[in-house]
Amino acid sequence: MTITDAGPDADTLAPPETVEIDQGSTAGTDHKVIGTLFIAASLAFLVVGGLLAMVMRAQLAVPDSDVVGGNTYRQLFTMHGTIMVFLFLLPLWLGLVTAILPLQIGASRMAFPRVHALSLWLFVGGAGMVAAAPLASDVLGGWTLSTPIPVGEGFTGEGIDLLILGLIVVSVAALAVAINVLATVLQLRAPGLTMARIPLFSWSATVSSAVMLLALPVLVAALLLLFVDRHYGGMVFNGFTGSRGGNPLLWPRLFWFGAFPLLWALLLPALGAVSDIVPVFARRRLFSHQRAVVAIAAIGVLSFAGWGSEVSNLRRARPLFALGVLLVLLPVASLILNWLATAVTSARNAAARQDKSLKERFQSVTMLHVRGTLGLLLLGLAGELVAGLDAGGRTHRNYWGVATQHSLFFGAALVGAVAALYFWAPKLWGRHLSEKLGKLQFLALVGGLFLTALPMFVLGIQDMGVHTSSYVTDSDWGPANLVATVGGVIVVGGVLLLILNLLVSVVAGKGEVAGPDPWGGHTLEWSTTSPPPVDNFRVLPEVRSEAPLLDLAQTETQPR
Amino acid sequence: MTAVTAAARTDATPAAAPAAPLALPSGVKPTPARVLPDRTRALGTYLFMVADAMVLSTIVAAYFAIKDGSSAWPPVDVGVGTYIPSIVSITLTMAAASAHWAVRATRENDQRNVAIALVFTIFLGIAAANAEWAAFDKAGFGVGDHAYGTFYYVLFGYHLVHLLAAVGVLGLLLGRSLTGHFSAEHHDPLRSGVLFFQYSNAVWFAVATVLFVFSRVHG
Repeated sequence: MTITDAGPDADTLAPPETVEIDQGSTAGTDHKVIGTLFIAASLAFLVVGGLLAMVMRAQLAVPDSDVVGGNTYRQLFTMHGTIMVFLFLLPLWLGLVTAILPLQIGASRMAFPRVHALSLWLFVGGAGMVAAAPLASDVLGGWTLSTPIPVGEGFTGEGIDLLILGLIVVSVAALAVAINVLATVLQLRAPGLTMARIPLFSWSATVSSAVMLLALPVLVAALLLLFVDRHYGGMVFNGFTGSRGGNPLLWPRLFWFGAFPLLWALLLPALGAVSDIVPVFARRRLFSHQRAVVAIAAIGVLSFAGWGSEVSNLRRARPLFALGVLLVLLPVASLILNWLATAVTSARNAAARQDKSLKERFQSVTMLHVRGTLGLLLLGLAGELVAGLDAGGRTHRNYWGVATQHSLFFGAALVGAVAALYFWAPKLWGRHLSEKLGKLQFLALVGGLFLTALPMFVLGIQDMGVHTSSYVTDSDWGPANLVATVGGVIVVGGVLLLILNLLVSVVAGKGEVAGPDPWGGHTLEWSTTSPPPVDNFRVLPEVRSEAPLLDLAQTETQPR
Repeated sequence: MTAVTAAARTDATPAAAPAAPLALPSGVKPTPARVLPDRTRALGTYLFMVADAMVLSTIVAAYFAIKDGSSAWPPVDVGVGTYIPSIVSITLTMAAASAHWAVRATRENDQRNVAIALVFTIFLGIAAANAEWAAFDKAGFGVGDHAYGTFYYVLFGYHLVHLLAAVGVLGLLLGRSLTGHFSAEHHDPLRSGVLFFQYSNAVWFAVATVLFVFSRVHG
């Protein structure tokens, strides 16, 4: 491994020693196995949610379409949104984080291995309830369970009860994982691995878990009150405030207070993963690890500031929430600049040395997905900037909001997760994913996402409503809808190629066998075998900075 | 949590011995094993309490949001007594003291007093739960009669679930205490269980304050 950038203390370092670590868990509670099962479940639900989206896009592809009726469309709309947020994005990160984090911080297990296993099965049970909801009765209103208040057709019956209970169970499972992650990071870090030295993926997972710890209970409480209203005839969201009735307008406030930070919490690990991947492929330390730590923490804190931008009846507080949305964009921009500074300085150094290997590394499938994440992030941030300035306004009720969510909270988070999969698959499963198939999949997934999101922004400008299930021939919405549908089909193709790649390379074992450190990694997970043993490590290198393996390599190359 | 040497662990769990070579350079000398302080259970309990307190805070926030917009809170025909809440408060205060007694006793390795304190705490906990159930019976209104009624049953029920869970946990800890699982040096599970019980008491005082102290507003 060629080292091109010396760390701050490289000159003064003695050869790192190793330290023995605590014993680990048994195979039944192995965090890597549970994490892998979370990832598998999330990908299964990605396919289901994607297919639902395809039926919706088929309905919207051309004017006056009658592929599905209005009622069915609203059910598809509800289930697509719910599945994508709670049954795909949420377990995807629960899986990746819990599979990788203990390895990155030099722990042999999660703090509560049995709770980790329990949270998986809680998730499976809750997800089953959510998936079964539309079979019981109509579930309408979108993933926010409101239009914008949770009253009227589609808000009574066993289906909505099942959906609410399922979401509560899934949220409790996610909370259990968040508590587990925080306890693991706070208690089981390797000696020398201070909080400031934690790898950025693990740090982003820590911040994300802290956000979930505060945001998900709000959602759970709101769902609990909604369940009491729907099932036991409670009055919290029924009727209007008088002496006896409640206030239905309270629902969107409670929902978004929990859901808005949750969306950022689900994006954060993607930002953390990219922050870990870029320096490894650039063969240098991140431009500023400290600034990245601060930026990720700031995103977590500020994610609570903009929730009211999604609520239409908070008129007096609009400027405050607009400011909240804009503020959270600043640390994201800082993080992006950090990545770019890392890559650009590395490329300059390589050019000065006439080193062509860096170019090859930057063209690997992992780095292609990093670029895809960056592109979708920039598109989504632009959308969020406009939506933030229009807090509570039309952009949150027309396709501008849909486009922003699909590029930022879905697109960037998904492609960032795929980058993480390509990067850590060799470590977790001992096999590389196919680069050939990966490049094709990258083109389909990222190209399809842009092809879907861009026309959605156009539809936002044309003021097509979020809940629109059909439109007339005279409307000018046709072309953009058709392009978005084609883009959606390509995205589904990309997802299927990703799953095919995982099946062929990992499950069937056709992928190239990975060594312990195939990328020249900087962090502790690359110091053990691929795949790691049940308790992860036998010995650990001593940690003296945020990149202990880089320190190790540097001291090896220095004259003693 | 115990730290073991690599050799001992390899003997105990054959799967721990990797077939492929490690990425570490050869010749590195391990330093003596290091044991991390085992505060993990208590930390987990604290984190759970943060999440749980957020659920309660949200319900309380919804309560105040609706109360502030009401012309009368609770509705004029609803009488809110103080007898049962007072009984529950006194009972749970005594239970809190006896739970603390259990922890103090285990620190002094006095296992007899640990068992007595836990039995006493469990008994008081069940008594408080019984009184709360009586509050449901004697409320005189249903969950769907008005928003105050909904919050009354939700908040009372929320505490009741916590109390029963905490009593169940203390029951398990009593069993472990009687079979000699705890000592002055090792009683982290007992400390965490009692911590959860004290938290459930804090939930009660929050619920009682909201329902019975901040309800005295009539328009």
